[in-house]
Amino acid sequence: MKISGQTSRPGRIAVSALPDPTASTMRLSVFDTFRDGRGLDALLVLLTLVYLIVFGLAPILYTVLMSLQQVDMFTLGDFSRPFVGFANYVDVLTRPEAGMVARHTLVFVALSVACQLVLGFALALFFQQDFPGAGIMRGLFLAAWIMPGLVVGGIWRWMLAGDNGVVNSLLAVTHLHPTKIFWMSDPATSLYAVTIANIWLGIPFNMLLLSVGLAAIPKDLYEAAQLDGAGPVERFRSITLPMMRATLGALVSLSVIFTLQQFDLFAGMTQGGPSNSSNVAQFWSWQLSFQTYDIAGGSTIAVLMIAVVIGVATLYVRSTRHEQIG
Amino acid sequence: MQITLDGLQKHYGTYHALKSIDLAVPAGQFVALVGPSGCGKSTLLRTIAGLEAISAGTLRIAGEDVTRRPPRQRDVAMVFQSYALYPHMTVAENMGYALKLRRLNRTDIARRTQVAAATLGLEALLGRYPRELSGGQRQRVAMGRAIVRDPKVFLFDEPLSNLDAALRVHMRGELRDLHDRLAATSVYVTHDQIEAMTMADHVVVMRAGRIEQQGRPLDLYDRPASRFVAGFIGSPAMNILPGTVDPSGRAARLDGAEGPLLSLPMLLEPGRPVLLGLRPEHLRLSQEGGARFDGVVDHIESTGSTTFVKLKVASQAMVMTLARRLDVTLGDPMQIGFDPADLHIFDRESEASLVTQRDAPPRAGRA
Repeated sequence: MKISGQTSRPGRIAVSALPDPTASTMRLSVFDTFRDGRGLDALLVLLTLVYLIVFGLAPILYTVLMSLQQVDMFTLGDFSRPFVGFANYVDVLTRPEAGMVARHTLVFVALSVACQLVLGFALALFFQQDFPGAGIMRGLFLAAWIMPGLVVGGIWRWMLAGDNGVVNSLLAVTHLHPTKIFWMSDPATSLYAVTIANIWLGIPFNMLLLSVGLAAIPKDLYEAAQLDGAGPVERFRSITLPMMRATLGALVSLSVIFTLQQFDLFAGMTQGGPSNSSNVAQFWSWQLSFQTYDIAGGSTIAVLMIAVVIGVATLYVRSTRHEQIG
Repeated sequence: MQITLDGLQKHYGTYHALKSIDLAVPAGQFVALVGPSGCGKSTLLRTIAGLEAISAGTLRIAGEDVTRRPPRQRDVAMVFQSYALYPHMTVAENMGYALKLRRLNRTDIARRTQVAAATLGLEALLGRYPRELSGGQRQRVAMGRAIVRDPKVFLFDEPLSNLDAALRVHMRGELRDLHDRLAATSVYVTHDQIEAMTMADHVVVMRAGRIEQQGRPLDLYDRPASRFVAGFIGSPAMNILPGTVDPSGRAARLDGAEGPLLSLPMLLEPGRPVLLGLRPEHLRLSQEGGARFDGVVDHIESTGSTTFVKLKVASQAMVMTLARRLDVTLGDPMQIGFDPADLHIFDRESEASLVTQRDAPPRAGRA
């Protein structure tokens, strides 16, 4: 890429020379640039760029625009709508449910990311051990990851059902919690019901990424540490964790982003209820935009969430930029 | 004895990697384990380190039975082929890691790291990370990490094989020098017989999980116990040609050769098929009588100081090294002579040497 960007490229000049009098020469040059691969670079970059602009940048910019305008059912088709500055932001943030939703989002993200990471790490370390069937069992864990969120939500809704859910019956049999928990209809537990489902859904991805990271740590480092006198805990603390820093950073950032995108489970399990007790920013944004048609409000929340994601991504890039192990 | 191996066995499932290894290493000795890939030399080193479990037999280090102990309770240090430096730690942290785990205080760690660094000329690099070091420097840090601990035993797993040729020769001397200065006990694995010969007090030649022969380097050179050791020790390798004992029992003839008989240094039963071994450096040009045979020059390589002559003798290839230049052309006939005392004879079947009982004459002055 770098090389082709620096060197002279006659083929490319011919392509960009639009009013070329000799069309046949031009066709030949176009063919040449693709044959020697130099034009292909540009084409691939261009296609990606077009895709990103059309499906990424443009919708984001449009969302930002709508968050600064007064949008209702009747002005949906227009670009020129009354500009209201940050009025939408003030409006959304001062709504009575705003604080609650923000708190729920924080709890949902923090619990999900932390538990997914810890359990995923434990499983990755477990499957790192060499035992018969390790590969197959690890593969089975990935089944959770390929299931559609709505299906997962539906299954967890059954499992967490108050009267005859399997979770409650297990808790009763083991005497851990003899009385029934109405997971999804009790405002005290509804957010945790969705969180549990989301943790389950995210563990395989965590395990997979962490397994890759673990596999990349040279075995002889552990052997050297063993000879230096490090026990298993010390080896984990002074070899595994530092060597996994980049992987962990990437994983936490990705998990935060994925968790902020988690919509299906809320749609499939609690619909944000009862009375917003399990409502989070992403679901609230959707409710505002597509249930109450307060599109400006929904866009505003979306923009705020984009800001958070960009912040997380920046932190991640910053933390790994100087990292070059090996 | 600093290290004693007694009937050591190692199985990997059905694969028998080490077959009853007996070895005793006195304190202060430098022992080289040498052999082709897959002979079990690295496995043996790793079982001494404790990185591989011992299937049967006992291992004693400084008199203590450590057969079942984990590596950290054996007080051995190992230098890995890949160096295995901790990439996220500086040179000083790499070297001080073992001391930190022993809960030494900070000043003690710093002092001992300094001393080790000074020994190896690493003082200026203590703050660097392994990725900022050259191959030779990494090698030194790996050694520094071992010596800072002052262990009972040093283990080396082909530590020089990732260095370029010139540095390897240099580090060979440096490593041996370090061993002497520290009065350490070292076990050194290498596939390079020159490294083994030049560095070690005691060389252990391994083959297919067994010790084929062990002894002082020059003893192995002078009296190889088998065709395998004869071919492995020495460079270029010993010429080993099939022959048959003459009816007299005091001479042998190369199979397929016309010329004169090669006189044997001892009496063997007539007609016995044998393998005749002659080191390239023991062959010489000969005009006069004695043990000799005819060859034809096939190929010549000259390095200036040494001339390697490849010969065809009775349609078999043979190499002769001469410490001088030679003015011959390809296809020239040549009379090759040698001292009958230099002839090695191996049984064709068992490939065991038939002359090991012979005392080697002093070889001073022979080129």
